[in-house]
Amino acid sequence: MTLEDLRRILAECAGEGDFLDPRVDIADTSFTDLGYDSLALLETAARIEQEFGVSLPEDLIATLDTPRSLLAAVREASVQTI
Amino acid sequence: MAVELYGREAVFTAVLDEFFTYLGDEGAALRDQWLADPPDLVIDDASRAQPLLFAIGYALGRSVECQGIRLTALLGHSVGELAAAALAGVFGLRDAARLMRERAAATADVPAGGMLAAAASVEELRPYLDPGERPDSVVVGARNGPRQTVLAGSEPRLTSVEERLRRHGVPCRRVAARQPFHSPAMAHAAERFERAFATIELRPPKVPVWSTRTGARVSRQEATDPAFWARQLATPVQFWPALDAMLKSRDFLLVETGPGQGLSMLARRHHRVRQGHCEVVPLLPPRAAGALHTYRAAVRRMENTP
Repeated sequence: MTLEDLRRILAECAGEGDFLDPRVDIADTSFTDLGYDSLALLETAARIEQEFGVSLPEDLIATLDTPRSLLAAVREASVQTI
Repeated sequence: MAVELYGREAVFTAVLDEFFTYLGDEGAALRDQWLADPPDLVIDDASRAQPLLFAIGYALGRSVECQGIRLTALLGHSVGELAAAALAGVFGLRDAARLMRERAAATADVPAGGMLAAAASVEELRPYLDPGERPDSVVVGARNGPRQTVLAGSEPRLTSVEERLRRHGVPCRRVAARQPFHSPAMAHAAERFERAFATIELRPPKVPVWSTRTGARVSRQEATDPAFWARQLATPVQFWPALDAMLKSRDFLLVETGPGQGLSMLARRHHRVRQGHCEVVPLLPPRAAGALHTYRAAVRRMENTP
């Protein structure tokens, strides 16, 4: 999964169409500043699981604070799955 | 909830003291419970938490105003809408305290129920909702975002809806409430609350209020109608439609004047905010610690924003 995939999934979860300005670098912006609360992140994780077959436990999701850390967690989890 | 500001921020402290005094014995008990260390206040105990939520929202608004920051529009979520109305001058603090006491009394005997936030649109949730206006219906209690909808309803129906949602993979989470606010179960409470509203003087707002009952600006006629304010207890909170309409009218610096950052997080998903046209400043931190620091930093930021 790439940062572009995650950007698209985050936009889908917000449900606001043109939500994420492509010029904004989101990798290190905190989920708080992006407006993603724990419920929105649960939906993000559910969509990642559907699309990429990678499951993230709920208590791990709660510790992730940026898109970069979420991507790293997905990579880590997919290595373990293989 | 904002305890660190009490005794340190003069206006905030004075407004809360005034509010507690108006509440009488109940006010003294509420104050002790609020200030107890460790905290003694259960947020989902509506009779105590709701008056405090109102008072903190109102006192923060007054506090910011007294720093020379002009409030140009107000928008409040649930009991926060009454704080917005009070800040706009629709009624005074003495009457507000009476309203809060009546609101607590009116909702005290509403059957047990709750609220459930789901990461889904209203349309997606439609199949899980109950038809009609039966008192135990599970309905939409709040539109918090395009994909953040809060369901409200009595037990055991709400739990059965929650189980179905989980089975179908819809992420959801309970909101801290033991009663089904903003659902038909509150209809009688709203009627009782309306009688309390009818005994106080209501004035047109001095600052525009964007209503989360209608999703539009409160008219002069609505502002002086007791039913308009009271019936919000039994009708859904149109937070997102109201925010969207407000941000369509012009750009704002959005300041959250309540505990936590829940509304800021929702507002940050709005495209006007994401595209940098509007900024969001929560006055308090996500949790209790660091409230004074967060508040003072937020005020400095507002002072530096034209």
